[in-house]
Amino acid sequence: MTRSMDVALTINGEERMLRIEPFETLLTSLRDRLHLTAAKRGCNQGVCGACSVLIGGEPARACLSLTANCVDRDITTVEGLSTPLALSPLQAAMVRAGAIQCGFCTPGMLITLTALLKERPQPTRQEIRLAVSSNLCRCTGYQKIVEAVVEMVGGGAA
Amino acid sequence: MTSIHTSVGHSIERLDAAEKATGEAQYVDDLYRPGMLHGAILGSIHAHAKIGGYKLDAARSIPGVAAVLTGEDFSCGRTGAFCKDELPLARGKTIYMGEPVAVVAASDMETARRAARAIEIDYEPLPAVLTIDEALATGAPLVHEDLANYAKIAPSFSEGNVLWQCRLEEGKIDSAWSQCDVIVEDVFETAAQHHMYMEPCGALAEIDRGGRLTIWSSCQSVHLVQQRVAEWLSIPMGRIRALAPKIGGGFGAKGGLHVQHLAAALALKTGRPVKMVLSRVEDFEIVRSRHPARVIMKTGAKKDGSLLAREANIFLDGGAYADESPTVLSFAVLMARGPYRIPHLRSRGLVVYTNKLKASAFRGFGNPQVTFAGESQIDRIAEQLDIHPVELRLRNAVDAGDRWAGGQTLPACGLRECLTKLREAVEAAPAVAAAPQHRRGVGYSAFAHISGLLSTACNIYLRSDGSVAVNTGVVDIGQGSDTILTQICADALMLTPERVSFASPDSDSSPYNWKTAASRVTYMAGRVVLAATIEVRDKILRQASEIMECSAEDLEIRPGGLVGLKGVAAKTVTFAQVASHALARLGGPIMGASSLLFDGERLDPKRAVIEGFAFSNLGAYIFGAQAVEAEVDEVTGAVRVLRAWSAHDVGCAINPQMVEGQIQGGFVQGLGYALTEEMQWDESGRLTNPTLMDYKVPTALDTPIEINPIIVEHPEPSGPFGAKGVGEPGLIGTAASIANAVAKATGKRLHRLPMTPERVLDALIGES
Amino acid sequence: MLHRPESLGEAVGFLSSDADAKPLAGGASLVAMLNARLVEPSALISLARLKELRGVTVLADGTVRIGAMTRHREVAEISALAGPQEVLRQAAAAIANPTIRAMGTIGGSVALNDPGADYPPVLLALSATMEIVGSSGTRHVAAADYFLDWYTTALAPGELVAAVQLPPASAGGGVYHKLARVAGDFAIVSVAITVQTGGRVRAVIGACGPRPLSLEEADAELERGNVAAAGTLLAEAADPVDDNRASAAYRRRIIPRMLGRAFTEAHAQERAS
Repeated sequence: MTRSMDVALTINGEERMLRIEPFETLLTSLRDRLHLTAAKRGCNQGVCGACSVLIGGEPARACLSLTANCVDRDITTVEGLSTPLALSPLQAAMVRAGAIQCGFCTPGMLITLTALLKERPQPTRQEIRLAVSSNLCRCTGYQKIVEAVVEMVGGGAA
Repeated sequence: MTSIHTSVGHSIERLDAAEKATGEAQYVDDLYRPGMLHGAILGSIHAHAKIGGYKLDAARSIPGVAAVLTGEDFSCGRTGAFCKDELPLARGKTIYMGEPVAVVAASDMETARRAARAIEIDYEPLPAVLTIDEALATGAPLVHEDLANYAKIAPSFSEGNVLWQCRLEEGKIDSAWSQCDVIVEDVFETAAQHHMYMEPCGALAEIDRGGRLTIWSSCQSVHLVQQRVAEWLSIPMGRIRALAPKIGGGFGAKGGLHVQHLAAALALKTGRPVKMVLSRVEDFEIVRSRHPARVIMKTGAKKDGSLLAREANIFLDGGAYADESPTVLSFAVLMARGPYRIPHLRSRGLVVYTNKLKASAFRGFGNPQVTFAGESQIDRIAEQLDIHPVELRLRNAVDAGDRWAGGQTLPACGLRECLTKLREAVEAAPAVAAAPQHRRGVGYSAFAHISGLLSTACNIYLRSDGSVAVNTGVVDIGQGSDTILTQICADALMLTPERVSFASPDSDSSPYNWKTAASRVTYMAGRVVLAATIEVRDKILRQASEIMECSAEDLEIRPGGLVGLKGVAAKTVTFAQVASHALARLGGPIMGASSLLFDGERLDPKRAVIEGFAFSNLGAYIFGAQAVEAEVDEVTGAVRVLRAWSAHDVGCAINPQMVEGQIQGGFVQGLGYALTEEMQWDESGRLTNPTLMDYKVPTALDTPIEINPIIVEHPEPSGPFGAKGVGEPGLIGTAASIANAVAKATGKRLHRLPMTPERVLDALIGES
Repeated sequence: MLHRPESLGEAVGFLSSDADAKPLAGGASLVAMLNARLVEPSALISLARLKELRGVTVLADGTVRIGAMTRHREVAEISALAGPQEVLRQAAAAIANPTIRAMGTIGGSVALNDPGADYPPVLLALSATMEIVGSSGTRHVAAADYFLDWYTTALAPGELVAAVQLPPASAGGGVYHKLARVAGDFAIVSVAITVQTGGRVRAVIGACGPRPLSLEEADAELERGNVAAAGTLLAEAADPVDDNRASAAYRRRIIPRMLGRAFTEAHAQERAS
């Protein structure tokens, strides 16, 4: 029998208290305990990327992160990327470009691309493709996702 | 129709894009109900075995376990859309490894899974058949011993492990061969592909005090869920309300039940809501796959390039249950001729049962397999006759007015334009030399498909503020049908899309729609949306004519929700005024309704020998052609696609950006089918790669830098604004295009999918 | 129970007192295995707070010490690597995808020793040593003695990898080539070749057996320019498996072919350096 523990997590700038199992993943905590369901469970193995979040500003798989091991890190989920009234420029760009179909991969893609743009505000097309390769998509063929970023950063990416 | 388009032809933003962009969109696993239990499945550990008995006490006594059910807890008989061979849970026998044999509901997922593992089942293993050849062998063990007694909707020619056979013959093929100057014969083999939608299958079932079940599920039709769950639980349909949250892709796999009936049965048993969402491994193991196939094909032509004869023998591996195999088979047989005027045709096929996961509907529906074969042969003939591959196709391509195999007339056909534009685009692209130790080539394919099938209905009403409500029962599985249908309605009333609301599908209140499949929604649901909208429009004009005291013929709809007097700019009334007038005068809102069963030509038994077909009419024909530039690594055999072009005749692009998205997405799923995706079973019948570690779909880096969509529009007379579908074609020709490109690059032809580096190297330098 | 020790000594203490406890580095492999119920440890010892396992330092004698908790994406950018050590950057950059590279660590990967992993062949080619810490202190194990078998290393119970050390760099070049089904997949076959200025060549084949494969005779043939002979020796000594990615026969077949290409490129790189 595992013993639950109480932890404090910093999520989207807010401190949240929750009771977790020691080996619980961040994905389970976010979805089942906090009902922050933007991060999706696509494979639970770290391959598909639908669960991606930012931990300390860097992209991470929530399904491969143990909540108890994230207690001293800043966690950003997709819910923290926009305000209730406005989409972020990246979200708006994805919508404009037709880069969203079923939408299941979209939260993970946004996390990956947010991290990319922080590190590389003017990424080349190849850099965008490399970042996007962190996440699987089965609907779009990736083209319009890449185009969304190309257009957003000024259209002239090499 | 006027020439002002307020919506059709505009690449407006999808209705649900913003909520998906913020992560607010809710899929079934994002739903939580008070008191909810979690459901888990126990899968069989044998490919074929009798079930002697169950020991459930250990499982039932685990704290937190609320119910354990087995096949013995269901009283219904076998059901199935075409052949009634399937039970809700295995009973008496299990016929594929992983098949659900028991289910558990418990307070949390961990406990439910632990309890499932604690169930003991008394198995008596039986010999299994795992391939087409094993299934057909004399004296082979039978997957369904009682096949002869299963009810079937049409003559199936079943025998042994052969579930269904069909054939289509036209002309006089036996005497045609001697008239051919060149004949090619090949055997092609294709593998099982998995749909690999991003959202695993799941359902949440809740029962209320009145005994009504509400079922949210990731599905392609709420009506189908309601009907089939009612069948399997042996309860009236009225006790079930089926809803669709946001769906994370389907591609055909969610067009039939997966776990809805299991969640529902557990909810009925426990009196509590039960959520059952499959893990990715389970999703690979128990839902559906594409049919592995063997296609033996022979094509003959005259030296001027005219195609004279084609013979196709198609063998499909259908897995353990029939599901939609009869229609996949029939469709493969129908499409095996390819989009060409080939006068002499013999197309035959059969689908066998094997002790593996059932194969069923998957984007393309039998067409990708026969197109891989047929389009490879077209290129072989082009090569032998020294005719350009596009030129050869153009010489034989069907055109408007031609008849498809079986006699259906093509009212419109943009295939030639697709081929011509494709070739222009490819030849205009700057040539790039291959890297050292690599060889490049360009390959083409052409294909047709169907957009249509079965029935759909719609109702529409005008609200008192002049806005419009559309209700169709169509489930948007991610392809964007909500937006397309909204655009069609908006355009017919010259409204902008914001003035039209689209109802979420609900089996309680939505008019019937068969399902989202078969590239049919834009065409079929679009037709009824347009028809219902036109009815509303006509009623608006009639009501307006009363208000404006003139004849309805003197009135016209104007952009912005207005009705005006023709030729008089200033005299208008608003839709809101018309709506209020109607409420006061008619006692109810202005409404329109339309329903449609595909009404096109049927297959003509006077023209062709047609036997065993599981359908008699289909839909509008859609056309496309594709080209890829592929590069082959001579050292390893690895194939990369560098650039792609894909031209599709969609009749009318309601939303061009969304059409492009379907073309590009279809291409990449086809790329996986062609190069990397293969479900693999070992000799015991175990699926050895049910994970994303081991079953590989393309990542962004595996896709070409450009997938150039080319939209061609030859309006389909029966389509809404001339539109027809594009959901499936993006994938159909991809494997053939790549095989043809590899052949151009290396002189070697691959006959087997996927074209892994190993298979390509074997072709390049001989097998080791 | 998840322990989050703040010192290496504390971590080692936890590990040696509980045989079923496992160290947790980036979690990229371990948590995936946990989720799939392939491992059921009694406790996990998080290495996240151990400063001793972080950082890349160049010791006085030129040894490059890479802390176990250095993430793949950091390894891919270590500027202190020179000459043939370049292959370590290339291997790290070839692991999985950018997000996994931001999570997974060299120590975690090396401790697991997945036979398809990218580090073992390059660490063998570079004659790396693993700095291993346990309750009886620190010891160093050469790569040749460390990667033993499928998921089996020289780590004894209660020990963990504290760092990977590379001997001082010489002049030269190196390449790491990997054939995979899709971007980011495990290797079907990988080849690491280092060419030192002055002629020493080291070729190691990865993903072709329980251990990374290196033969003195093959290296000698390469030094004499006999690529085909080297390839034959390595192909014959390889012990690949049939799996979902490829057959053993194919893997054996492409060893000499990939070796040839990697060798040409490594030489070109060495000349350019």
